[in-house]
Amino acid sequence: MPDIWGQAAVATKFLLYLGVLTSAGLVLCRQVFSEQLAGLDRFLRVWAVFFALLAAAMSFLGFAVRGAVLMDDASGMTDLAILALLWETPPGDALLLRLLGLGALLTGVVLGGRWLWVALLGSLLAIWSFCEIGHVASEDRLWFQSVLFGHLIVAAFWIGVLLPLHKLSGSADTLRVAAVLGHRFGQVASVAVPLLLLAGVVMTWRLVGSLPALLGTAYGLTLLAKIAVVTLLLALAAINKTRLVPALQSGEPKAGPHLARSISLEWVCIGVILLATAVFTSILTVPS
Amino acid sequence: MKYNFFFVMVSTFIGSTALAHSEKESMTPANGAVLEVVPEMIGLRFNDGMRLTKVEMTHAETHTEALDLGAQSGFVKEFSLPLTPMGPGMYHIEWRGLGVDGHPMNGVFSFEVK
Repeated sequence: MPDIWGQAAVATKFLLYLGVLTSAGLVLCRQVFSEQLAGLDRFLRVWAVFFALLAAAMSFLGFAVRGAVLMDDASGMTDLAILALLWETPPGDALLLRLLGLGALLTGVVLGGRWLWVALLGSLLAIWSFCEIGHVASEDRLWFQSVLFGHLIVAAFWIGVLLPLHKLSGSADTLRVAAVLGHRFGQVASVAVPLLLLAGVVMTWRLVGSLPALLGTAYGLTLLAKIAVVTLLLALAAINKTRLVPALQSGEPKAGPHLARSISLEWVCIGVILLATAVFTSILTVPS
Repeated sequence: MKYNFFFVMVSTFIGSTALAHSEKESMTPANGAVLEVVPEMIGLRFNDGMRLTKVEMTHAETHTEALDLGAQSGFVKEFSLPLTPMGPGMYHIEWRGLGVDGHPMNGVFSFEVK
């Protein structure tokens, strides 16, 4: 097991991914499905603020935890020399971009209305901050960073639809709106999700490099575990698209609760996927 | 069930990994070396720029002390650090540092003095 600072690094990274992707996803979905989600405007903005604040808090805490990792001691979290050193490296650049993005996201969401476009730009900036750090950025190639950017945008979009869809499918009064939202999301996802998977394959090929590395290293095996849960998530999404959403459209009374339960399972899958990602981006070594 | 399997799998693998990312490096004395006398200095060489943040020496699993890192500036590939002679026994060195790409790095190596 990693030591306490390794575990803290994984925990803060997990919550950071959850915060950024959910807040950005809510803003993305609010803009893409503006007609269906107009009635949930306040609900979406409150949750977007919550997850953006979580992301901002985890951005600071995660940065400080890096200081603790470097000193193997809690004193590293407040050691100004260590934190200033970190600030000069890519984690400092990423922190700055992320906070700017989250600041714009929060401003746009709090003001609402036309300002949601500011929130959208902030969301994209916050997501891009992940492309400025780590092994993808180390490759120093824009196309590779763009692949990760696309991967994360689709992931955020997927995560962002879950809260409103769950809310709408939980009430008999909004089942018709839930059916339309589910149908429209399925249409977009049928194009976006293959792109997400393709981006995942490209990054795996680039970072892992070979089948023996995929099967014989902790990084590769954690990635395989993530892929296994992604497969489960895809199966749930397929059931939603082919059975539950059509059932909602045809007015079946039990379709709403079934969809809400399926979405809860999707949340569990997404939690495990984000945790696996936090593990291999925080404490594991890229094979290649 | 699938989730339990996942957590067991991940925690098993983490047990065999370093705390942070590690890089190819060469240490002097080499890991596992057996020496006649205590070296005055230890050397750490990395294949990319590094800023050491903490290096600790443990002698014979009893005495631990932090090594003097001196005045570092920028990110360099080679370090030479003075070692306090503690006599015969195992010397265990644990280092931590920041890679130029912002990755926290760490590693350990040991040598024995007869």
